[in-house]
Amino acid sequence: MAKLTALHGGRVYDPANGVNGEVRSIYLGPNGIVPAPADPGEIGASHDLSGCVVMAGGIDIHTHIGGGKVNLARMMLPEDHARDAVARGVHPRMGCGHAAPSTFTVGYRYAEMGYTACFEPAMLLSNARQAHLEMGDTPIVDKGAYVLLGNDDLLLRMLAGKADPAAVRDYIAWTLDAAQAMAIKVVNPGGINAFKFNQRKLDLDEENTAYGLTPRQILLALAEGIHTLGLPHPLHIHGSNLGVPGNLDTTLQTIQALEGLPAHLTHIQFHAYGTEGDRKFSSGAAQIAEAFNRSPNLSMDIGQILFGQTVTESGDSMRQYAGSAFGSPKKSVLMDIECDAGCGVVPFRYRDKNFVNALQWTIGLELFLLADDPWRLFLTTDHPNGAPFTSYPHLIRLLMDRSFRNDMLATINPDAAAASTLASLTREYSLYEIAILTRAGPARSLGLDTLGHLGVGARGDVTVYTDHPDRERMFQRPRYVFKAGEMIVRDGELVASPTGATHVVKPAYDRAIEKHIADYYQRFMTVRPNNLRVAAGEIEDDGRGRLVVHHTGRRV
Amino acid sequence: MLTCNGLPTVDASVAEAHHDPVNSLPVSSAVPKQNAVDSAHEILHHEVSCPFCGLLCDDLTTRTENQRVTVQAIACPKATRAFDACVPPGEPLIDGKPAALDDALAAATRLLKRSRQPLFGGLATDVNGMRAALALAERCGAILDHRHGEALNHGVQVLQSRGQTTTTLAEVRNRADLVVLVGANINDDFPRFAEICLAPAETLHPAGTAGRQVWHLGPRAERPRQAGLRLEQIACPQAELLDTLNALRASLRGRAQGLTGQRAKAITALAAAVKQAAYTVFVWAPGQLDACAAELLIGSIGELCGELNRSQRAAGLALGGNDGAQTALAATAWTTGYPLRLSYAGPTIDFDPLRYQTRRLLAEQAVDALLWINCFSPAPPPDNDLPCVVIGTAGSELRRPGSVFLPAGTPGVDHAGQLMRTDAVVALPLKQLRDSDAASAAGLLRELARRLD
Repeated sequence: MAKLTALHGGRVYDPANGVNGEVRSIYLGPNGIVPAPADPGEIGASHDLSGCVVMAGGIDIHTHIGGGKVNLARMMLPEDHARDAVARGVHPRMGCGHAAPSTFTVGYRYAEMGYTACFEPAMLLSNARQAHLEMGDTPIVDKGAYVLLGNDDLLLRMLAGKADPAAVRDYIAWTLDAAQAMAIKVVNPGGINAFKFNQRKLDLDEENTAYGLTPRQILLALAEGIHTLGLPHPLHIHGSNLGVPGNLDTTLQTIQALEGLPAHLTHIQFHAYGTEGDRKFSSGAAQIAEAFNRSPNLSMDIGQILFGQTVTESGDSMRQYAGSAFGSPKKSVLMDIECDAGCGVVPFRYRDKNFVNALQWTIGLELFLLADDPWRLFLTTDHPNGAPFTSYPHLIRLLMDRSFRNDMLATINPDAAAASTLASLTREYSLYEIAILTRAGPARSLGLDTLGHLGVGARGDVTVYTDHPDRERMFQRPRYVFKAGEMIVRDGELVASPTGATHVVKPAYDRAIEKHIADYYQRFMTVRPNNLRVAAGEIEDDGRGRLVVHHTGRRV
Repeated sequence: MLTCNGLPTVDASVAEAHHDPVNSLPVSSAVPKQNAVDSAHEILHHEVSCPFCGLLCDDLTTRTENQRVTVQAIACPKATRAFDACVPPGEPLIDGKPAALDDALAAATRLLKRSRQPLFGGLATDVNGMRAALALAERCGAILDHRHGEALNHGVQVLQSRGQTTTTLAEVRNRADLVVLVGANINDDFPRFAEICLAPAETLHPAGTAGRQVWHLGPRAERPRQAGLRLEQIACPQAELLDTLNALRASLRGRAQGLTGQRAKAITALAAAVKQAAYTVFVWAPGQLDACAAELLIGSIGELCGELNRSQRAAGLALGGNDGAQTALAATAWTTGYPLRLSYAGPTIDFDPLRYQTRRLLAEQAVDALLWINCFSPAPPPDNDLPCVVIGTAGSELRRPGSVFLPAGTPGVDHAGQLMRTDAVVALPLKQLRDSDAASAAGLLRELARRLD
């Protein structure tokens, strides 16, 4: 029988089990975390973690790691790769990093940073096969993806035709199954579709002219359907009017429209803009945070921007087209995709001396610091839209170290600094709260029972950091990372490269919907549904991958 | 993974992935069946993806009888020809002489071991074949280029310098009320494009597409032959496509076209049509364009779409992706970060599409071995006298000294797999349609990597 690994002497931060910095021992076996063995002979390796901080493996709930638009960004930006090439011998497979990294490098770098699970938030059904192929070539981390609905002509036709909510639910469930997805995402509801008909904006109560539907109607239909299906993760919403000054109103109206239905608002920073001041661009963080704090049905991830060169990759073709004028370098991709959705890829440089970018930076931080409940809040940069994921340690330092934060504040565009309330926000995140933002909270939000915590029965994803007052340094280079009980990183370097699992949900549905779908595809589309759907065997790929199906509990 | 008699088993991974209730063929094995007598019964497969063209039509019905696969019902001359020509790949060869597979693998391994700078060319294979080729290339420090690397590179250059505005097949079918074929001859190369995208029986937005116009810019003889199109022709030799397109752009901007006579009138009419259109799609076939002007032409189409999108909607569509080209491009990009063409020779991956062209490398004797992967249609490697391993179909092999032939099945016929469609979004699953002795390219490439370690 395989020996256990014992971890002694570290200060454990396991919010899911209420453990806040106690020194505790953890015992890792091949099937996860187990109680202390009666017979010490069962213990093989033993590690002394005095002076270390111990958390579960990190979980990134929203990061663009696989699919057509991610790959287009790679192809378009050789200059991004040249800055950060991964040489032979550094990792098991060569590649490149920074804003549009290759798949192998994504997996290795996340693991080296102490993350053991990542979720692609914008998978198109028509592109699901490619998304899973790319995730299949992303080593180590567990993964999953959220599939887009709400701009596909099929759903919009159903809603415009006043389809029975039961049929809508069946279609949602079929889509999750066919795409092998973990959740449903909606991007600019009805807006990507409207842009194909030359509409340039779509407010919450404005009609998509082709279908006579408003974003509000589409959001509610999806949110209700998902709620009834009992999916662990609620509707993941990239709201209307992303990036538009004044969109704070759209966001508040969207929150109101949901009327208490569970929902996740993603990269909320990009949706928190007012129009005050000389430049008609101001922070809406206070109002958004206030609405968030009194809405227990909501969760949100920030989508923090950090200064430097990156690339924006989004399904929101309408807003990406508008933003392409501000891209840097000046080249971009725009796509209308298969009566399903769209995408836009626009390289972007966030400059600390630029008023708008500097204010965006402060807005994200204000949101972090004003939100009350860390369990409903997740740490993201919407990689790579706000910044590459490798910048998370820097972001953590900004949240935990007020003095560092104020030092940074002193370097940005002074008008933006003056306009922001950031200097007066004294809050500093604790290690316990960071563990919630990056481990316990995402696991709970996605319904990942064995991840994000360190209690008995957990899978055994453990990250050990050497405690250090410079939190950026501390979080950048874990002392150890374990995945499913196996050591994969030692002193910031990879020592093993196991394969991660793909997480999905498969709520039951009435198969009668398949006839409706097959009929629609036969008449209008260019593939057969049976060929569109990603078979389990494709992900399992002869043992090179593994599917984990999560329970859904249908609500009556 | 070896069988008990020491021969490699075929890659069964994706073959088992597709549990198609109609398909009851057993998974193939690499142990040669010397006295194979195929059963007399025939098998029909439905919803088959055709691997022989970048359109990847997935609605074929095929009939398998005595190792021959024929297309039923769908009238596509390209598919019919390709399936007819798709014979089993035959036996392994060393220096042109029949050999046991194990010996041929050993010879290929020695050839690769001795090489200081190999080139992996062809790359006409499926997703798993590309994954294995990339892993082996990293192991060997090889250069990578596709058979259609030239055509692929046109699009890559434009993407990297200006970006692109593109659309996909279902969007064209359901939304485009104006389609402009820019030098694209769809008759022979993409025979069903017209049926699927230009003149389908039904569309999602009939009010928009009922009056769909199709304009063809190009030689008269290449205009689409599909019945039922509202076709307008602007006769134009290939060499004048760029000027004609730029005249259209000028006309749309209210500038002088710089053309006279019939063509000027036609361009004025086309400009008027574009201005009225709700969704204009410009279509080109990179593999059909003269190499010297292709990038300028594609770039100009991209600029035109950019100009139009300020006030109306327009996008481009590249028809290509034959012989796994789109798959090779996509798989290379996600695995390395770069598109083709590139080299694993140095400490980091070197992307240099001008330098790493097959023809140029062979001419300059810059490589000392060639691994040619070609699994869809017969095509031997370009002329060379290098030590050469061919992994591919019958008709792709060399039979001279210094060559090794490893017969490989055709993805979508001899084994299951996945391929990317030309519009760079949809990837289709491929079925196994006949019992086959041939291993997959993926399996052979993985075995070579295993033997090198």
